[in-house]
Amino acid sequence: MVALGLLAAGVALRPLEAPAWAVIRAGQPALRLESLKDALGQGVTVGLLGGFRAIVADLFWIRTNSIWEGNDLPGTQTSIKLVTAIDPRPLYFWLNGSRMIAYDMPNWRIDKAGGYDAVPEAVKRRFDEEQSAVAIRYLDNALEFHPNDPLLILEIANVHLNRLKDVETAARFYLQASRLPDAPFYAARIHAELLRKLGRNAEAYAFLKQLHPGLPAEDIGAQSDVVLGRIRELEDELSIPEAARFQPGSASRAAPTAP
Amino acid sequence: MSVASVPFSFSRLSLIAGNTFLEAVRQKLFNFLLLLAVGLVASAQFFREFNFGSSELKFISDFGFGALIFFGSALTIATTAQLFFSEIENRTALTLLAKPLWRAEFVFGKFLGVFAVIGVFCALTIGLMMALLWHREGQLMNIRPEDFANGRLIAYGDLLVVGVLQWLKFGVLAAIVLLIASFSNTNLFTVVTGFFVLVICHLQYLARDAWGNVDNAVLGLVVRALGFIFPNFQLFNLADQIGQGSGLSPVVALQVAGYAVAYIGVIGGLAVYSFRNREI
Repeated sequence: MVALGLLAAGVALRPLEAPAWAVIRAGQPALRLESLKDALGQGVTVGLLGGFRAIVADLFWIRTNSIWEGNDLPGTQTSIKLVTAIDPRPLYFWLNGSRMIAYDMPNWRIDKAGGYDAVPEAVKRRFDEEQSAVAIRYLDNALEFHPNDPLLILEIANVHLNRLKDVETAARFYLQASRLPDAPFYAARIHAELLRKLGRNAEAYAFLKQLHPGLPAEDIGAQSDVVLGRIRELEDELSIPEAARFQPGSASRAAPTAP
Repeated sequence: MSVASVPFSFSRLSLIAGNTFLEAVRQKLFNFLLLLAVGLVASAQFFREFNFGSSELKFISDFGFGALIFFGSALTIATTAQLFFSEIENRTALTLLAKPLWRAEFVFGKFLGVFAVIGVFCALTIGLMMALLWHREGQLMNIRPEDFANGRLIAYGDLLVVGVLQWLKFGVLAAIVLLIASFSNTNLFTVVTGFFVLVICHLQYLARDAWGNVDNAVLGLVVRALGFIFPNFQLFNLADQIGQGSGLSPVVALQVAGYAVAYIGVIGGLAVYSFRNREI
């Protein structure tokens, strides 16, 4: 009788609960089954359910760092994922976790395989590619919780550039990041520099000409003088005639578009 | 004079509630848990060094709500079970129920007494957390005025609403514990079952998510039924909504409050039904 009463109440109250639950669920990353499953072994389930997600994740992050100091690859990787499973809200965990995976772990694997002198270049490259793939998957997962966050896109671009040496793909991600709201100004500058590195000077020139008018002169981060300097360098390299050279303040203030 | 010959009385109900409240605040358990929660909230600023991800003020708020939810849940379950069974074990329930007193008056009187105690606990914890946040935000405004160009960042009204909703959630939990106590024989069984139900209510949304993926039709039906039988306590986790977009939606807050009040009524009614069939 009691169970039937509860069932009837649950059915009757669902129309009241469902709209509120939809709003709440959309606005916050809910605890996931896998995070609780992982956390069960650590004895923190009550803490998580009790509302101590932030402090539990912080304490696990400290533990992650102590495992990381021991160059324990599976332990660190598992611990990084556990931290963001417990509390996916802070970007700090995602960014630093991906850096450990992409930048530190290939070196640990090389050390374990005999050191830099002993390991062939092809194997080193494979380690880089495998760890970069893990890091990019991890950052893609972060984007599910922080959609269109420019810092996450930049981190993906950094992995492509610094670990995979894939300038073309990195340039694409820097451009993508530069177009997002609150993107740091340097994303667009790096995109242009990578275009130059690829030998696409005309594209870089067109991009910077569109970029410069939108840069606030009073913001030191925008580095509008540096951008103007690079425009002048490109004009020299491209042999742009004096009359056709870029005049600050004369171009439209539209956001730069894809080359 | 039989119970049927006297009408339901709110004054008898309030007498029982008042007595339950006094009994509860005199308990060492209440004072101990209150002290722990208040101590933890007050010490939040000393844990600032542990704060890696979120902003300092968000961390203090998370920490405060963590203390409120953790100790509030423990207090609700333990106090409700203890106060109910103390009446049974001390035989005072026999004396009371031998008089023309409705069992509904007894059960809801107990509930309101516990609910008031939890209300005091929530008010003190939330009040302290808000005072801490106000103090620290003031300090940060002096240190980094550029971050507070548009005034204070924290929506204190929203914090208060979330605190009230947590109180209502504890009300639903207290009603569940009373329902368990109404047919249970021991305090220990009630407390342990109460904690299990708390965990189930927090995780029932996972069962609801999973039922669609269950291939076995019978099992799927059972999982779906479980999603209906237990209230969804994740619904009350509104602290993350504070400071996001336009903040806490009043409509959502009202829906959640209505959900809690309706459940308190239904589960309280079931507790009365179950208690009426019980031999004291």
